[in-house]
Amino acid sequence: MSKSKSRNIFILVSVAPAIILFLLFMVIPTIEVFRMSLYQWGGFSNTQQFVGLDNFRTLWNDMNFIRSFQNSILLIVVVALITVVFAVFFAAILTKENVRGANFFRVIFYIPNILSVVVIAGIFSAIYDPSNGLLNSVFGMLSLENLQQMWLGNQEIVIYSIAGALIWQAIGYYMVMYMSSMASIPASYYEAASLEGASKLKQFTSITLPLIWNNIRTTLTFFIISTINLSFLLVKAMTNGGPDGSTEVFLSYMYAQAYGNSTYGYGMAIGVVVFTFSFVLAAIVTRITKRDVLEY
Amino acid sequence: MKKSKGISTEKLFRLFVYVALISLAISILIPVGWVFLASIKENAEFYGSPWAMPNGFHFQNFIEAFNEAKMGEYLLNSVIVTVLALVILLAVALPAAYVLSRFTFRGSKFLNSFVKAGLFINMSYIAVPIFLMLLDWDTALRVIMGDGVFLNNRFMLALVYASTALPFTIFLLSSYFETLPADFEEAASIDGAGYFRTMFSVMLPMAMPSIVIVVLFNFLLFWNEYILALTLMPGENQTLPVGLLNLMAAERAAVNYGPMYAGMVIVMLPTLILYIIVQKRLTQGMTVGGLKG
Amino acid sequence: MKLKKIVWMFALVLLVVGLAACSGDKEEGDNNDAAGDKDKGKQTTLKVAALESAYGADMWNKIAESYEAANENVKIELTLKKNLEEVIRPNMQAGEYPDAVLLATGRPEALTETLIKENGLEDISDVFEGKVYGEDINVKDKMLSGFTNTLATNPYADGKTYLAPMFYSPTGLFYNAGLLEEKGWEVPKTWDEMWELGEKAQAEGISLFTYPTTGYFDTFIGSMLYAAGGTDFFNSAMTYEDGIWESKEATKVFETVEKLKDYTEKNTVANANPNDFTKNQRLILDNKALFMPNGTWVAGEMAEAPRAENFEWAMMPMPAFEEGGDRYAFTFFEQMWIPAAAKNKDAAKEFISYMYSDEAAKIFLEAGAIQPVNGIIDQLEGQNKTFYSVYESEGALPAMGTFASTKPVPGVNMGDTLYGSIDSVMSGKISYKEWQANVEAASDKLRDAMN
Repeated sequence: MSKSKSRNIFILVSVAPAIILFLLFMVIPTIEVFRMSLYQWGGFSNTQQFVGLDNFRTLWNDMNFIRSFQNSILLIVVVALITVVFAVFFAAILTKENVRGANFFRVIFYIPNILSVVVIAGIFSAIYDPSNGLLNSVFGMLSLENLQQMWLGNQEIVIYSIAGALIWQAIGYYMVMYMSSMASIPASYYEAASLEGASKLKQFTSITLPLIWNNIRTTLTFFIISTINLSFLLVKAMTNGGPDGSTEVFLSYMYAQAYGNSTYGYGMAIGVVVFTFSFVLAAIVTRITKRDVLEY
Repeated sequence: MKKSKGISTEKLFRLFVYVALISLAISILIPVGWVFLASIKENAEFYGSPWAMPNGFHFQNFIEAFNEAKMGEYLLNSVIVTVLALVILLAVALPAAYVLSRFTFRGSKFLNSFVKAGLFINMSYIAVPIFLMLLDWDTALRVIMGDGVFLNNRFMLALVYASTALPFTIFLLSSYFETLPADFEEAASIDGAGYFRTMFSVMLPMAMPSIVIVVLFNFLLFWNEYILALTLMPGENQTLPVGLLNLMAAERAAVNYGPMYAGMVIVMLPTLILYIIVQKRLTQGMTVGGLKG
Repeated sequence: MKLKKIVWMFALVLLVVGLAACSGDKEEGDNNDAAGDKDKGKQTTLKVAALESAYGADMWNKIAESYEAANENVKIELTLKKNLEEVIRPNMQAGEYPDAVLLATGRPEALTETLIKENGLEDISDVFEGKVYGEDINVKDKMLSGFTNTLATNPYADGKTYLAPMFYSPTGLFYNAGLLEEKGWEVPKTWDEMWELGEKAQAEGISLFTYPTTGYFDTFIGSMLYAAGGTDFFNSAMTYEDGIWESKEATKVFETVEKLKDYTEKNTVANANPNDFTKNQRLILDNKALFMPNGTWVAGEMAEAPRAENFEWAMMPMPAFEEGGDRYAFTFFEQMWIPAAAKNKDAAKEFISYMYSDEAAKIFLEAGAIQPVNGIIDQLEGQNKTFYSVYESEGALPAMGTFASTKPVPGVNMGDTLYGSIDSVMSGKISYKEWQANVEAASDKLRDAMN
């Protein structure tokens, strides 16, 4: 058997199962979403009517969709920015500072990420309750009554309350990701830098940040995808899009239309737009954050 | 003079570090601990202050959760589905990630971007198309065999879980494989090892740290997933999060909060215990990664 | 090296065993069915799916038992779930339809509405012309009048009944009679008296109004529409007549709701979601708010919650717009229906007729669910008796009905626009004028899509 032939067989055997599963359970269903977006269908009957791009045209003028779009973008931006800052900060502290109980903190910080969204929704309902809630009663005890809020009732802030829950659950996850790439930075770099008298901040900006930059870029893509998904699951279990649609996000609106309003095709059209949007957004983010990869 | 000033900024910084660490820890520990306490409270206690300690050990909540909502049965289903999905995922994703990251062949670039594109496909919007597809298979099968096997099947759910996790897993593993130096493969090749042997005996063991991370992440993903579980298992074999959802709907309607929090504890506890065990391996994985350079 | 191979082999074996084990349950189930068929000959298995609501699951088990006893040819297979939609929707898409379903319209998942829009329901008009199962009386003669000629039972307004009315309950404004007595406050009869009382209560730190979720406004607004313009006006509104929502009658309704904003308890909007709505209901129990729209089930729903001293549930019809004006108490009921794709439609129809038998009505009654049959009020006791006699003792007029069914219109949902927006009205985010304009716009879009 020639070398190149055995190489080809090896490649085929290794890649084929993954490709088959990927095609079957991801690519084909996605194509179905695209196909169904061109139809009008209620979900049960056998009458699927081809309507071309009508669903997309309706979408363009649907104020509720535009609101869910705004909410989703707001969540993506707010959650990604705040989480990255916190996660990098804590990751740097826990890897580079000689903190007592570093292991303990790391274990604790990761906990929110292992909880089911259903559980998180339950926890945050208890936190945000206007009268008996943990948050408002803490403010009450500290005599900070003016900070007490209708966390889930005030339509101006409810979307930030959702963002709070998402950040709470995300920090640990991304912190661990950044930590593992920080841990692989050779200690000798830092030793050399401190010999040259570089301050901690300087070390952070000129060694740590550039070397984990690729990792951060990767996670930005994760933020876009996971925020779209998690915000839907959380909203579904917590506010159901309320009050009056002020926490409606991409996918919750898609489900509301596909099921609640019996317009399955229209729901799929929303899915198509969400998919395309997240793809384009990630491409833009990847492009504008591109730096030369530093090898070590 | 100058020196002492340096020490005090250093001290301030350390103080700030600890304050930050402790605040975040508190913001996590208190709500989670609160749920545990709430799960042993009697129903009437929920109308008082949320900070009150439970009056006693109202274990009845857990009995109700297990009996009324069949949480035990759901627990077993969740274990089966999660373990199966992880096994399938690793068996499929590891070789693929290895080849895609370290071999260049016709179409490898295309496949790489193809997999990356898969990251954007969200479980939530393909759940129903997958369901409709399995439904079609079942309908076809009924004609031939008189019965369908694809829906309400724990293996199928595990297979779908593994498939939907493929892009993420391959992506993560590939980026790790990419950082490994080529020396090892060359050495193995000189020793006369074939491709399969090189992969199994040289490269996979080296990838252990990232495999641990992959397993941990995907375990949580599968364990907590509920949209697909709800859609693909309409009849029997429901998983734990779906059971919790049922329980929460039931107890909320009945204004019976105790069993609701008990149900939350039942869902949380296995992940917490497993996490505490696995997190040590995670630490090891990280140190190995750190020593490598 | 060898070890690795063994591990992979082991994994493979595990997969194969897993596949077999996982699909095993199903085959077992089928075998049981087959055995059952042999034993009992030509027995029909009737699949009944029912929403497990505040009335509990027990009554359905009893109903199944007593029907099996009455009709030997039928075996009832019950699906009782609190989240019934999530369970039966995928099964129905899979072609496995229940034969009879108890699931009302107006639920957030809107499964029943979906089937109406998709023409997926069986015409059951003949059930009402025929006899009650096991009794010698026609269903329509036994039923309270008016229940089978609204859009809630005849969604296409074509004189054909597709949904059978079940478990009715008068709705209105619920309050603590003990509190009003203690304070010496009169129960208001008109909206002007409401506002007066609101001022008085506010002085004592009590809010006039709260609501569980905006969904509870369906009967609230319904009663107000009746009060503002009578039956014809209501029906025009329900059939999306052009300009109807901009008429002066409708404006009166919109204005009144907006005025309520100043009297609504401040936490209400924050808790007006499916998770926390019981917290709003507790505002009444704790004397923090005076009135809330609700149905008779609320007494049972909140049975275990602590309450103020001398608490006593009471219900009043909606206030009139002017002195001596009509007051309405909307009648809420659930619906039972047969999917057009069900296998045992005739057996299901028989089963539905049995729902109106004395035997069934008695079982439901014990659980607090009241069937709309003659003479049922005489069998009621205590609190329920006062609730259900609202039409006699308080002189309230009954009101029924719902929006006419339409073909699905993407992005337009009357429930969300008319009721859901109330959260925004209450928080002052939108004015009643914007709300009114949105409702009229939705009505315009739905008009052409009417079936």
